[in-house]
Amino acid sequence: MASESIVVFAQFQSAVDEGFWHRLCSLKLNKLGIDDSPIPITGFYAPCSHPQVSNHLTLLADSLPSESNEQSSTAATSGGNRNRCPVPGILYNMNTIESFHALDKKSLLKAEAKKIWDNIHTGKAVEDSAVLSRFLLISFADLKKWTFHYWFAFPALVLDPPATLVDLKRASQYFSLEEAKSVSAACNEWRNSSLTADVPFFLVCIDPNSLATVKHIKDWETCQSDGNKLLFGFYDPCHLPNNPGWALRNFLALISVRWNIMSVRFLCYRENRGFADLGLSLVGEALITVPQGRAAKTGNGLGWRDHQCLPNAVGWEQSKGRQVSRCISLAKSMDPTRLAISAADLNLKLMRWRALPSLNLNALSSMKCLLLGAGTLGCQVARMLMAWGVRKITLVDNGRVAMSNPLRQSLYTLDDCLNGGEYKATAAVKSLSRIFPAVDAEGVVMAIPMPGHPVPSQEEDNVLEDCRRLHDLVDSHDAVFLLTDTRESRWLPTLLCANTNKITITAALGFDSFLVMRHGAGPFSSNDERQRLGCYFCSDVVAPIDSTANRTLDQQCTVTRPGLAPIASALAVELLVGILHHPHGIFADGELANSSSSGSSELPLGVLPHQIRGSLSQFSQMTLVGQSSNSCTACSSTVVSEYRERGMEFIIQAINHPTYLEDLTGLTELMKSASSFKLDWDNDDDDDDDCVEI
Amino acid sequence: MGTKEEAQGTLSSTDFGVAASAFILNWNTVCSSFPPWTWVLSHHQVEGYLSLENMLLSSTQEEHGELSCPGRGIHSHQEDPIDVDDATLVHTNPCKVHYYDLHIIYCNSYRVPVLYFRAYDSDGEPLEFDEIEKDLPAYSKKALSDSKWTFITQEEHPYLNRPWYKLHPCGTSEWMKLLFHADDALAKTGVAIELYLVTWLSVVGHVVGLRIPFEMMKQL
Repeated sequence: MASESIVVFAQFQSAVDEGFWHRLCSLKLNKLGIDDSPIPITGFYAPCSHPQVSNHLTLLADSLPSESNEQSSTAATSGGNRNRCPVPGILYNMNTIESFHALDKKSLLKAEAKKIWDNIHTGKAVEDSAVLSRFLLISFADLKKWTFHYWFAFPALVLDPPATLVDLKRASQYFSLEEAKSVSAACNEWRNSSLTADVPFFLVCIDPNSLATVKHIKDWETCQSDGNKLLFGFYDPCHLPNNPGWALRNFLALISVRWNIMSVRFLCYRENRGFADLGLSLVGEALITVPQGRAAKTGNGLGWRDHQCLPNAVGWEQSKGRQVSRCISLAKSMDPTRLAISAADLNLKLMRWRALPSLNLNALSSMKCLLLGAGTLGCQVARMLMAWGVRKITLVDNGRVAMSNPLRQSLYTLDDCLNGGEYKATAAVKSLSRIFPAVDAEGVVMAIPMPGHPVPSQEEDNVLEDCRRLHDLVDSHDAVFLLTDTRESRWLPTLLCANTNKITITAALGFDSFLVMRHGAGPFSSNDERQRLGCYFCSDVVAPIDSTANRTLDQQCTVTRPGLAPIASALAVELLVGILHHPHGIFADGELANSSSSGSSELPLGVLPHQIRGSLSQFSQMTLVGQSSNSCTACSSTVVSEYRERGMEFIIQAINHPTYLEDLTGLTELMKSASSFKLDWDNDDDDDDDCVEI
Repeated sequence: MGTKEEAQGTLSSTDFGVAASAFILNWNTVCSSFPPWTWVLSHHQVEGYLSLENMLLSSTQEEHGELSCPGRGIHSHQEDPIDVDDATLVHTNPCKVHYYDLHIIYCNSYRVPVLYFRAYDSDGEPLEFDEIEKDLPAYSKKALSDSKWTFITQEEHPYLNRPWYKLHPCGTSEWMKLLFHADDALAKTGVAIELYLVTWLSVVGHVVGLRIPFEMMKQL
C-alpha cells in the first residue's frame, strides 16, 4: 500500500556574499566592459549543520574567474574543503535592467537542464556528480547605484508522473543501533578525507553484519551483492524533517536513467558540529513511476529514459513564496562618495570620542560659511573648514588663476592657469569637490565694491547689483571670512555683517606678520549696553599700544612669506570653531592667552581670543583685545543705522566720496585731534612698490 | 614577548602569530559548539589573521518592512508565469537569521590585535550597525556606551578592502596592561604570549556579545 503522497523537495536557498558582487563589479570595469556573454561560475554548499536553519548555496568572490585568466573558476578553487563543495554554474550578467527582465527564462532553464540531462546520459554525472546540481544565475549590476538585481535557478528534471514517497523518517529511526554507528563512522571518514570531502553524492552499502561502507557512485556495480542494503546518499543542505533537499531530484533522474531502478532508498545526509547527525538526517524511499517503453513516441522502448526526450524542468528560486527576482543594495560599502563621507565622519567622531566629548559635530556640518577671497587665505581656509566637517562653503572672487598662484593657493593646479586661467571661484569649487565629493561648494565670480574707488556713472548699476548680491550672500550664511588682499575691500562686508550680526573673521597678512581676529557683535544686536568687541576697522582707530610693531596690515600690495598664509588661515578656522563652541558665541568676551583669570580656560577648546597677531620673524604670537569704537567707519551704530535707513544710496556715497565716512562718524574731528594717527583710505601716502597680488 | 611590550599591554607581530596558534588549538578543542577559528594568510602569504565565519545568530527581530533597495525581495516588475510543479516546497517565512564573520587582525600602529566583524542576512545582504546593535546582549550595549576604551567604528578591512566594523584599538593596550599587571602569576610563568588572545578576547568578546566559554577562561 504505497502512500499517495509525492516527494516534495525543498529548493536550494541562495546566498551571495558581498565579495561576489565586488568581484563582479571589478571584472566588469576592468575586463568585461559591455560584453555580456555568459560567465562560468562556481557555487559552494555543504550539508546542513543546524537543526533549524538550512544551509545555502553560496557565491563568494572566488566563485568568479579571476581577472587574469579565461578559465572557469573551478580551476582556482582547491578541492577537498568539506565546507565548500563546488558546484558548476553559469552567470548571465546583463547590461541593462530591461535586458535583465527580457531574458527568456524558460529557455535558459531548459538549456541548463539539457546540460544535466546530457551529463547523465554520457556518464559524466557519475564521474563528477556535482554537475547534477548545476545552477543558473541571471543578474544586472547597476554600477551607478551599486544595486544588484539577480535571480537563481536550480534546474531540476521533472519526473512525470512525480516520484511518490513511500516513507520518510529520521535516519536514527531507520537504522538499527549497530547500523547507525557504522554508517556514522563511514560517513565521517568520507567527510574527513580530502579526496571525498567535497563529493556530494555517494553510496552507502551495508552488509548483513551491519558494516557500512561509503562509496563513490561510480562504484555502483560493486554494491550489487545480495543481502546488502544500498542507500543513495547525498549532502542535504535542507534541515526540514519532512522534505528532502533539491539535489535529490536530479539524483533520482540519474538513478532511474543509468541503472533503471524504480524503488530508491535515499539518505539525506546532514550534520551537527562537523559530525554525521543521524537524528537530523533522513532516510526515505521513493518510487519512480515514469512510463517506460512509450514505443509510439520514441520507438526504442526507453520512454522517459530516452536521451532525445528532454524532460521538463523547473527550478527558478522563490523569494518569500513568490517567483520573483531579488535585489540587493551595496551602496554603503561600494559607493566611493559614501565611503569618503563615512571616513570623514569617523575622523571627527574619533576626535569627539577620544579628546573632545563636547565637540558639536552637528553645528559644524550645518554651518554655512562665506569666504570672500579665494587666494592664499581663501584656499587654505576652505580646506581647513572641510577638515572640521563644514560642508557648505561659498567662495567669492572675481579673479582668474594666474601662473604664480598654484604654489601658494592650495586649491589650484597648473591646469587651472591655462587659456587665460579659470575663474578662481569656479576652480576652487571644482577642487573642493575633488577632495571631498560631499562638499556643497558654490563659487561666485564678483568684485567687492570698495570705498575710495569711485564708480563711473555707467557702472553704477552693476556696482549696485554687486552690493545687493553681497548683502544677500551675507544674509544667507552663518559665518563670513574676510580674506581679501586690500583693506578697502573689507569695509562693505564688515558693515553688512555688523548689520546682520553675523560671525565675521578677518585674516590679514603683512610681509612677515599676520592678524587674525573675530569681529564683535553688531551694534544693534543686543539690548544690553555691554561693550562690543571691535571689528577690523575699530582696531585701526583704537590704536594698539605698540603701533610700530603692529602696523596697519595689508597695504595695497603685499608680498608675504609663504608660511604666513597657512598659519593665519588655520588660526582663522580654529577661531571659528572656538566661537561655535562658546556658550556666548559671537558675544563671547575676548580672552588673552595664558590668562589665569579667564573662566574659558576650562572650556574644552581653550581660550577664545579676540585678536591674534603673529610674527614670523620672531616666531611669536600674541593675543589682544580691542573694544569697538563709536567712530568706526564700518561697524559703529552711526554707520549701520545710516545703511539701514538709506541702503544702497549710502553705499554709493561712501564709495564715491572718500571723506564721507570720516565726516559721518566724526573721524575727521578725531583725526584733527590726534595727529599721530594715520588713516589712509586711498593709500596715497604709501610707496608704490612693485606690487604683486597675493 | 619582551617585558617591555608586556608592560605596555602590546605585542609584536611575530608574537601575535604565536598567540594565534595557541588560541586556535585551545578554542577548537574546548569550544566545539562554536565554529572553529582558522588562520588565513593574506594574499602576499606573509601576514595572516584569525577568521571565524558564518557564525549563526537566530534573530528575534521582525522582518523589517524598510527595504534597502527599491524592489528588494519583491519586484514589482510583471514577470511571465514561471513553471512550478507540485513537487516543489513553497517556503513559508523562514526564521530570520543573521550571520557574523569575525576576523582578528594584528594592527601594526597600535601593536595590538583588533576585532573586525560584519553581519549579513541569509541573502548575503550586509546588516546596518543599528541592526547589529539589536543583536547585542544588554551587557554589551552597556559596556559599549559606558567604557571610554571601547567603541565600534566602520573602516576598510586591511586585506579585503571593504568596509567592516571594528572595535577601535586605541584603548586596547591600556586595558591589556591592567589585566596583565593584575595577575603576577602570568608574568612569572612566562606564558603571557599564549594567553594574550584569550585574555584579549575575554574583554573584547564581552563588548560584542561573544561569550567565551568558561573552559577557556579557566586557564587565566
